[in-house]
Amino acid sequence: MVDTKQFASEPKKDLLGVDGTLQLHSVLMNRYRITGVLGVGGMGSVYQARDLQFPSAERYVAVKEMLNLSQDPQLRTISLRNFEREANILAALSHPAIPTIHEYFTHKDRAYLVMEQINGKNLEEILNTLTESLPVDMVVQWAIDLCDVLNYLHDHDPPIIFRDMKPANIMIDSYGRLRLIDFGIARTFQVGEKGTMIGTEGYSAPEQYRGEATPQSDIYGLGATLHHSLTGRDPRLEAPFTFADRPIREANPDVPGQLDAIIMRALAFEPSQRFANVLEMKKLFEAVRYGASGGGSVAIDSGAAPAQEMDDWGSAEAGGIDVRWKFKVEEEIRASPIVHDGIVFFGAYDHNLWAIDTENGQMRWKYATEAGISTDPAIHKDGNMVVVGSDDYAVYAIDIRSGRENWKLMTQGPVRSSPTVAHGHVFFGSDDGHLYATRLTTGRSVWKYDAGVPIRSKPTVTDELIIFGAESGDVYAVDLSGQLKWRFKCKRNVISSPFIYEGLVYFGSFDYHLYAIDIKNGWSVWRYRTAKPVLSSPIVADEMVFFGSADGNVYALDAFGGRERWKFATENQVISSPVYADGAIYIASVDGKVYSLDAKKGKERWSFETNGPISGSPYVHEGVLYIGSTDQNLYALKA
Amino acid sequence: MDWLRRFLGLQPAESPVSESEDKAAPSTSPTAAAPAATPETDSSTDDTQPNRNATAQLNEDGRTRQLPPLETVTDTSSTGTRLNYGLHSDVGQVRDNNQDAMLSFTACMSGAGDDVSFGFFIVADGMGGHEDGEKASALATQIVARHVTNDIFLSLLRGETGGDSERPTIIEVLRNAVQKANEIVSTQVPDGGTTVTASAIMGHSAYIAHVGDSRAYLIARDSIEHVTRDHSLVQRLIELDQLTPEDAADHPQKNVLYRAIGQSDNIDVDAIIRQIPPEGYLMLCSDGLWNMLSNEEIHQTILKQYDNPQSAAQKLVALANERGGPDNITVILVQIPV
Ligand SMILES: Nc1ncnc2c1ncn2[C@@H]1O[C@H](COP(=O)(O)OP(=O)(O)OP(=O)(O)O)[C@@H](O)[C@H]1O
Ligand SMILES: [Mg+2]
Repeated sequence: MVDTKQFASEPKKDLLGVDGTLQLHSVLMNRYRITGVLGVGGMGSVYQARDLQFPSAERYVAVKEMLNLSQDPQLRTISLRNFEREANILAALSHPAIPTIHEYFTHKDRAYLVMEQINGKNLEEILNTLTESLPVDMVVQWAIDLCDVLNYLHDHDPPIIFRDMKPANIMIDSYGRLRLIDFGIARTFQVGEKGTMIGTEGYSAPEQYRGEATPQSDIYGLGATLHHSLTGRDPRLEAPFTFADRPIREANPDVPGQLDAIIMRALAFEPSQRFANVLEMKKLFEAVRYGASGGGSVAIDSGAAPAQEMDDWGSAEAGGIDVRWKFKVEEEIRASPIVHDGIVFFGAYDHNLWAIDTENGQMRWKYATEAGISTDPAIHKDGNMVVVGSDDYAVYAIDIRSGRENWKLMTQGPVRSSPTVAHGHVFFGSDDGHLYATRLTTGRSVWKYDAGVPIRSKPTVTDELIIFGAESGDVYAVDLSGQLKWRFKCKRNVISSPFIYEGLVYFGSFDYHLYAIDIKNGWSVWRYRTAKPVLSSPIVADEMVFFGSADGNVYALDAFGGRERWKFATENQVISSPVYADGAIYIASVDGKVYSLDAKKGKERWSFETNGPISGSPYVHEGVLYIGSTDQNLYALKA
Repeated sequence: MDWLRRFLGLQPAESPVSESEDKAAPSTSPTAAAPAATPETDSSTDDTQPNRNATAQLNEDGRTRQLPPLETVTDTSSTGTRLNYGLHSDVGQVRDNNQDAMLSFTACMSGAGDDVSFGFFIVADGMGGHEDGEKASALATQIVARHVTNDIFLSLLRGETGGDSERPTIIEVLRNAVQKANEIVSTQVPDGGTTVTASAIMGHSAYIAHVGDSRAYLIARDSIEHVTRDHSLVQRLIELDQLTPEDAADHPQKNVLYRAIGQSDNIDVDAIIRQIPPEGYLMLCSDGLWNMLSNEEIHQTILKQYDNPQSAAQKLVALANERGGPDNITVILVQIPV
């Protein structure tokens, strides 16, 4: 438990008489004898003084001194008049959390405000010297007190906006009571600064930089102050308006979710998304402090989504996903479908390559291989062929219309690498350790590249290179004649298929990383570490790279620098690879669901749950999403 | 290689820059393990002493000296792939000292049928009174250059860079270099700060590390793109749709940065890779330029003298000066070969 007596203050004498401060024992207005310095503000010092009016009583006051810095005589007069006006307003305020103003006067080029001395420390000092986090209950009590005093100010006629809510302007006295100091009166003497400067206020609401200040601005400042108090992270040391990037409960697990939600709502960028008034906020803090009662939690839930933007997509309620049809096969579907010419093709563990009409979900044909299929089919348009590899060691080219075999090529091991069709050839890897380049028309192997270990990644082919990963953790780039151009070594195997964008090759590895390497020489440009292996094949869209990890998250990183833009947590491993269409990402999870996420923010648009884990990837074509599940169904959903 | 060593003020040793040199900075740790590096006798291995050979030169009094205008510099060492660049820095019309620093070097290697040209460029805009601004920008420039040279270019010449996940990535090297500069500036020039925008160019790839509000642009005949993100309060407000770019242009706090070198122990450095189109440009500049000229004006000026980056750089600076030149102006223009 924090002992509030530690907040008692000791005025400093050694600061007196230096740098233009008043001398010890000097007397102002024949009444205030200076006895120490209580603090230093932006425009001058705050002194402790003995009030000589009461010679036999030891009565101390705080004397706040402000230098009138304006050079221009006219500006000086305006500053002074503003000061007097504000001092009069302050003197008329009466609230237990606001120090009483005794009087004000000016002397030489300085203005003075005499007020009640608070025996305490300002919250900034307290936060700076803190070694452990503040008790949550204590912070909630301060929150309630701050709401109360802000409500008093906002209710004043005319309303007073505090404008500068921050720890430095809050004092906690030796009884643990909270007082609000610094009503910005010093601002009347400030002159504009020029030149590049570093550092932002950190606590001010975005609209205050447009010159707007409303009760909602104070609500934001209060939210920022509480966020700092609970997380210990000073917002002035962070990029502005990034509170949402520092979740309160990550820094301080003692904070209840309700409290977190109140503070995050106060910190919404749009004033209209915050609370309508501080009273509303105060009630919710009280519910946290004294136990929820009377709908407090309900109000939070409705407003808590910190209001970035409402779902542009019109979120689909549970079960609201339109299933156009589903098609059940005889075994699990582990790979991904592909659509061509009104037909969706996919392989299943039941040994078959299936061809289903996209319109009605009726079977066109099926072709039986001799073992399970765990690769994705590829289409050769001109030849009207669909190519697929099977665990029976073979790769097949099947006629799209008839479903009859064109050719079959045997390798020395199961084929777990999905084929890629390009340059009149089909490229694929085999567990026999080779990458094969095979002529599409004949099925004859032109060359094979010996990697020595199984190749299970689908090769990516450019105009010059074939790039693929191997079980050794090597990623190879060979030219179209099968000569090695470069090789990149990861710590563990690479199943993920490379994606190429703007001179970079992106892929994931079992060593937990997503890599971006230079396509010209294989040097690593950047990498990003997740918490589990990355089997998912990345894609790039909108200058972001998207992929899933076995740690359960879907990630979006900046494609050029690898900085995290967002991540989305599913309930199990994400082995599936993402698909991008019209600003949305589609990806499935071993949790059995296929998700549609907003590509920019990573917010869920909808999800659809199947009856088994999903390891394959969706295919989106003309507004329809096709996904196979280990529940043995292929689903056609409205994307 | 000798030129590189001389350039960096390195001794002809096996490992030209070792980590311990930074720690040998006398005022931070006088008892550090490398006693040879006394600044009076040997400024060359001391990060605190601005190097005489760097483009960002300091006079005896510590001020950045006005650079003489250069002819367009073309790296003529070989066939094919060459970097063509121009640079110019000016105090402007209002200030009496130039707190901007800049640095450039290029190299070209050819052999075994391979042409590799690389270059390294930095613009840094210092801030702080009592010459702290120019000290911070010069120091940061030099430290970043040393680390990048050692960890990218020299390791490249040693044949070390390559396809291996054990090595730090190029982006990590760049980030570390700027973080190192941050540490040293924080201790050596506690009251100064600086922006840093640095780019290593290899072939058509530009690796860019960035802190503050100096900028990097990619420019082609038909396009101009600002590729770094200003770490300024107003930019952040624009990103949140809380301020329009027009309002930001004359916002009273438009010069407020939330991130700069020399301000805190830890710094988050932006680092990216971008491809420069064939015959396209990478431009680095301080806010003294982009505050005065629109992207469109910058683009037009470069188009008018497309294959002469030195003349374009001087013209850009002259234009900013015509508009009043309230701040120091620095421009580096690098043209990538076909
Ligand atoms: N009534 C008071 N009793 C005791 N100490 C006080 C009192 N008022 C102010 N102080 C102390 O003096 C410090 C400066 O006060 P204040 O914030 O009002 O100054 P300021 O000039 O307005 O500063 P700024 O505008 O930079 O916030 C406070 O942080 C506090 O520690
Ligand atoms: Mg500047």
